[in-house]
Amino acid sequence: MTTSTPAPASTPVLSSTPVLEAVDLVRRFGPVTAVDHVSLRIEPGQTFGLLGPNGAGKTTTISMICGLLSPDGGSVHVAGVPMAQEPLAAKRRLGLVPQDLAVYPEISARQNLTFFGRLQGLHGAELRTRVGEVLELVGLSDRAKEPSKKFSGGMKRRLNIGIGLLHHPDLLVLDEPTVGVDPQSRNAILESVEALAGQGMAVLYTTHYMEEAQRLCDRVAIVDDGRVQAEGTQDELIELTGGVDTIVLSGGGDVAAAEVSLRGIPVVQKVARDGNHLRLVVQNAPTAVAGVVRTVSDAGMNLSDVVIQRPDLESVFLHLTGKALRD
Amino acid sequence: MRSVVALAVLELRRFLADRLNLFFVLVLPMVLVVVLGLQSGGGGGTAQVALSGDAGTVAALEAELATIDLDTSRHAEAATVEELVSVGTADVGIVVRSAEPLQLDLVVADEQTAAGLGQLVRSAADRVTVARAQEDVLTGAGLSPEQAAAALDGAPDGWSAAGVEVGGTDPVMEEFAAMGRFEIGAGGQLLLFVFLNTLTAASAMINARRSGAIRRTMAAPITSTQAVAGLALGRFVIAVFQGAYIMVASSLLFDVRWGDLGAVLTVLALFGLVAAGVALVIGVVVDSDGLASGIGVGGGLILAALGGCMVPLEFFPEGLRTVAMATPHGWAYEALAEIQRRGGGVLDVLPQLGVLAAMAAAVLLAGGWLLRRSLGRAM
Repeated sequence: MTTSTPAPASTPVLSSTPVLEAVDLVRRFGPVTAVDHVSLRIEPGQTFGLLGPNGAGKTTTISMICGLLSPDGGSVHVAGVPMAQEPLAAKRRLGLVPQDLAVYPEISARQNLTFFGRLQGLHGAELRTRVGEVLELVGLSDRAKEPSKKFSGGMKRRLNIGIGLLHHPDLLVLDEPTVGVDPQSRNAILESVEALAGQGMAVLYTTHYMEEAQRLCDRVAIVDDGRVQAEGTQDELIELTGGVDTIVLSGGGDVAAAEVSLRGIPVVQKVARDGNHLRLVVQNAPTAVAGVVRTVSDAGMNLSDVVIQRPDLESVFLHLTGKALRD
Repeated sequence: MRSVVALAVLELRRFLADRLNLFFVLVLPMVLVVVLGLQSGGGGGTAQVALSGDAGTVAALEAELATIDLDTSRHAEAATVEELVSVGTADVGIVVRSAEPLQLDLVVADEQTAAGLGQLVRSAADRVTVARAQEDVLTGAGLSPEQAAAALDGAPDGWSAAGVEVGGTDPVMEEFAAMGRFEIGAGGQLLLFVFLNTLTAASAMINARRSGAIRRTMAAPITSTQAVAGLALGRFVIAVFQGAYIMVASSLLFDVRWGDLGAVLTVLALFGLVAAGVALVIGVVVDSDGLASGIGVGGGLILAALGGCMVPLEFFPEGLRTVAMATPHGWAYEALAEIQRRGGGVLDVLPQLGVLAAMAAAVLLAGGWLLRRSLGRAM
């Protein structure tokens, strides 16, 4: 994806006004509380990550932010515009890039962009110019007339993102845009988000990939079970772990028995299993590692690799929830 | 309003982008109109009658048949007449077996023609017989044949004929007999294909829902009412396009007469709205596009059959006819029959239009409500 300097938003956001302010959002589906008093604040130019496993409530939160779902409680303001009272004006301030390839496959890239541009209120010469700019931006100018069903997965992803950018939104909302994407396309998407952030666009990025949140986000909210477990910069979040280290054990044999045995060692604060990998949160890993290795070997696990890691967002999630991000 | 139009244009583009849809919209209806027209026999807009036998009687019959706009052709052999009817060149054949007393053999290809055209031929033969009897009476009274003929020719000037209309035993059959061969099937095909092709749009909507495109559409600054209106308008445009195409093409190619254009278009518009609403409901309620296609085609054909689009409602038993009036096709069929066969206008089909409008309102409101509900559920 190529980049260009974006035109200014139609109505500039005052520097003191947050691009997004969601306060105490609640949404229930029958007896299940999918989102439980979630609050988020995104400043202009900020890339904000919503990090959590599948089912944590990320998409439901985004649906309320984008006006697709009415909250049972709480409020959303986009660039100072209340979503509940002025939904159309608030929706104009944001661009949504859904997790799915939300394009119409039967029609061309240009026709897709033109259609969604019209919905955003663009028309005439302004619409044509903007469609051309976005086609250039996402590198699809030479394929603009082809039905998008003929595109590769990566091209469809680029078109998917381009649609969200058409109307110069104050806030770009990307809902797990790399799920099911090959590594090359994934890297292209991450680069394009970095480029947009570099141009000053505020981004709300949801993911369950820790590496993506670490790479892209200025601030991160860790969500689980519909609640924000912690929120801050990456350094602030890592401090929450209290300086603990992470040991990752890989191997075969009786991994389940090893997990049980590790829970009985006082130095091990948290244990989470991901297939044949065990991720431990420990105080002072260099000291603890010998006892850990001995314990899992006695339990019947055949170790093939032992890695001591500096704390990262995965460690923070494990520390806060007792679960691995992919659980 | 721009958003509504943008959505409608999008729906039309998506529909036309599928070449299979083009086949169903442009080719298949015309093929079926032709097939049904050929099945119903006849020779185009005017029925063709082949005659054979005594020259004087044949001439008298030809003169009578010409007065009711039937084309005739004279043949030396009875076998030729039978062959012409069997290959469909003639709609009915008349073989004069005996001139005095008059005895005719009627040659027809099917029961429907026998009941309709046969009645008209019998009436013509009766008039020939009466004229001969009158001539015989006058010549018996001493007039020369020329004087008798002159007296009979001048008779209408001297007295008023009784206002007797010769009605067939079955007025419905007479209605059908007065229609061209392609007109009989055209109305039913119009309704069948308008409904069927509009329903196929349901699967396109399911694909859009599953891909998240509908969700993205709703994230744009439009209201749910605008979204529903746009989606329904797209389907409505497809329906009206389909109907108008069948009307224009059948008129130009097969000389089909549709009657009062304003009245037919009003029926078509309301029927199209019903179809658009049903497509919206299926598109929201059903999650599999394959299942939606099955329901669309199967349901469309069943409703068309029940509503008189395959076999005319007039041939239905009473109970089934009551069932037919639960379908939009049944009401639209009755309206078209009134307009096309009996020369009716908008005022003559107001009850049918009212029922179709109520049906359209009901399904569109249900579709809109279900769509809004599904968007809330799909997060």
